[in-house]
Amino acid sequence: MKKVLQIALGILAAIGGFVDIGDLVFNVEAGAQFGYQLLWVVVVGVVGIIVYSEMCGRVAAVSKRAVFDAIRERLGFGVGFGALVSSQLVNLMTLAAEVGGVALVLQLLSGLPYRALIVLAILALAFVIWVSPFEWIERIFGYGGLALLVFAVGAIKLHPDWGSVGHGLVPHLSSSDHLVYAYFAVGLLGAAMTPYEVYFYSSGVVEEGWTPKDLGLNRANVMIGYGLGGFLSFALMITAGALFLPLGVEPQFIGTVALGAQVPLGTIGLILALVGILFAVGGAAIDTCFSGAYNLAQYFGWEWGKYRRPSGAPRFTIAWAILLVLALLIIMTGIDPVMLTEYAVIFSVVALPLTYIPILLVANDRSYMGRYANGRLANAFGLLYLVVILVVAVSAIPLMIITNQGQG
Amino acid sequence: MSSAQELDLGLGILDHQLVDSEGRRCGNVDDLELEGVREGSPKVIAILVGPPVWRGRGWLGRFASLFARGQTVRVPWEEVEKVDSAVHLRKTAGELRLGRGDDRARRWVEWIPGS
Repeated sequence: MKKVLQIALGILAAIGGFVDIGDLVFNVEAGAQFGYQLLWVVVVGVVGIIVYSEMCGRVAAVSKRAVFDAIRERLGFGVGFGALVSSQLVNLMTLAAEVGGVALVLQLLSGLPYRALIVLAILALAFVIWVSPFEWIERIFGYGGLALLVFAVGAIKLHPDWGSVGHGLVPHLSSSDHLVYAYFAVGLLGAAMTPYEVYFYSSGVVEEGWTPKDLGLNRANVMIGYGLGGFLSFALMITAGALFLPLGVEPQFIGTVALGAQVPLGTIGLILALVGILFAVGGAAIDTCFSGAYNLAQYFGWEWGKYRRPSGAPRFTIAWAILLVLALLIIMTGIDPVMLTEYAVIFSVVALPLTYIPILLVANDRSYMGRYANGRLANAFGLLYLVVILVVAVSAIPLMIITNQGQG
Repeated sequence: MSSAQELDLGLGILDHQLVDSEGRRCGNVDDLELEGVREGSPKVIAILVGPPVWRGRGWLGRFASLFARGQTVRVPWEEVEKVDSAVHLRKTAGELRLGRGDDRARRWVEWIPGS
């Protein structure tokens, strides 16, 4: 029974961490522009995040050290500091975008003014973080986010051409718009493999006190959790491909995403979609906020953890509070959360190697991983994905500029 | 920590987490004080912690030290109990004058209900 409950950690990571505003934006935009052609990229991204999350979880369970500990140990103070600054910038952009997303969904549900709802969203997030134990946060947002499954029902009801869906799962190049296609492929990979997911996951493993006995659970968590996240990504892209592509609609608003459930399922579909987005994006906001505080604390050696009382880890507590305030200031400027999301995902792709290279090195270090060090399979996948990450990191910003953020 | 054990200082100690005798995280190994380097038999005599030490860690270290306050804390090697993925100390952070940034920050947090 305990095991079943613990799988919730994976479900949170999947819904709150995997399906966040980045996945909503890139899957739906990719579906609206290229139909089902880019489904295979989701598979590549999901396998990548499974490979590296499994490694991070294993390192954390065996050594009690989370990702940013590994980054500082392996890259040293200087390069590690560069990794810290870049990851904090990307994290903050993502957090601000998620907060904006939460406020937009609240606005669609309530009709109240957007800026007032931003403040409300920040206060609500701070309250939940302050009063709820780590496990509760997982459950509240993990289960609430499951409402996104309405998109799977919506996708089926829209009667997509399943032959084309199947063809989309086979890696291929597009017949036209090569650069825009490549831009969306990079964005989808970046959204699937966002580094904050591994910061949060590995720190969570340490928070929950996992040991090598929990390695089976670690594997189950990442496979079920991210597998489910990938399934939801499919549903979003298929819905967008079936609904928006034929109409020539380019979704520029979070609310447009919810149409994918409203058109086939009516008002109940719309409400479930909005509730699902609210919990998924709200959970991701908390993950992102914690990730920022975890990274700072691990890099500088401070006490950290939600399992400590706030006064037991004061600098960690102050760090997440400041991150929330900074996110509030950014999003209150009126910047469009969807645009901010695209920038956050593309910049996060550039920072990916600095996160994943140290993990691969530490997972291979037998001096403290002992017999739990990477086997051949983990290393084969790890190296393969390292190549993918490097290619993607180098090409992300040029593609963003050349394609004018996928506008062609 | 027996001195006969072999350890790669760069990978095995430098930049690792310090954990006190009560399990509290209390800083990272920012630098090491060595002795006998010129004689060809280097030996670690202390762990150095704190923002002033970062200045010896390249230009980004010098840059980072501009934004942090705090003094150098020197932890003699005799206070190290064991080294695994972290460096475990024999005494509490308070006794070793470590973790004072968290001690200072505590007053900003502890007045809030539920802290």
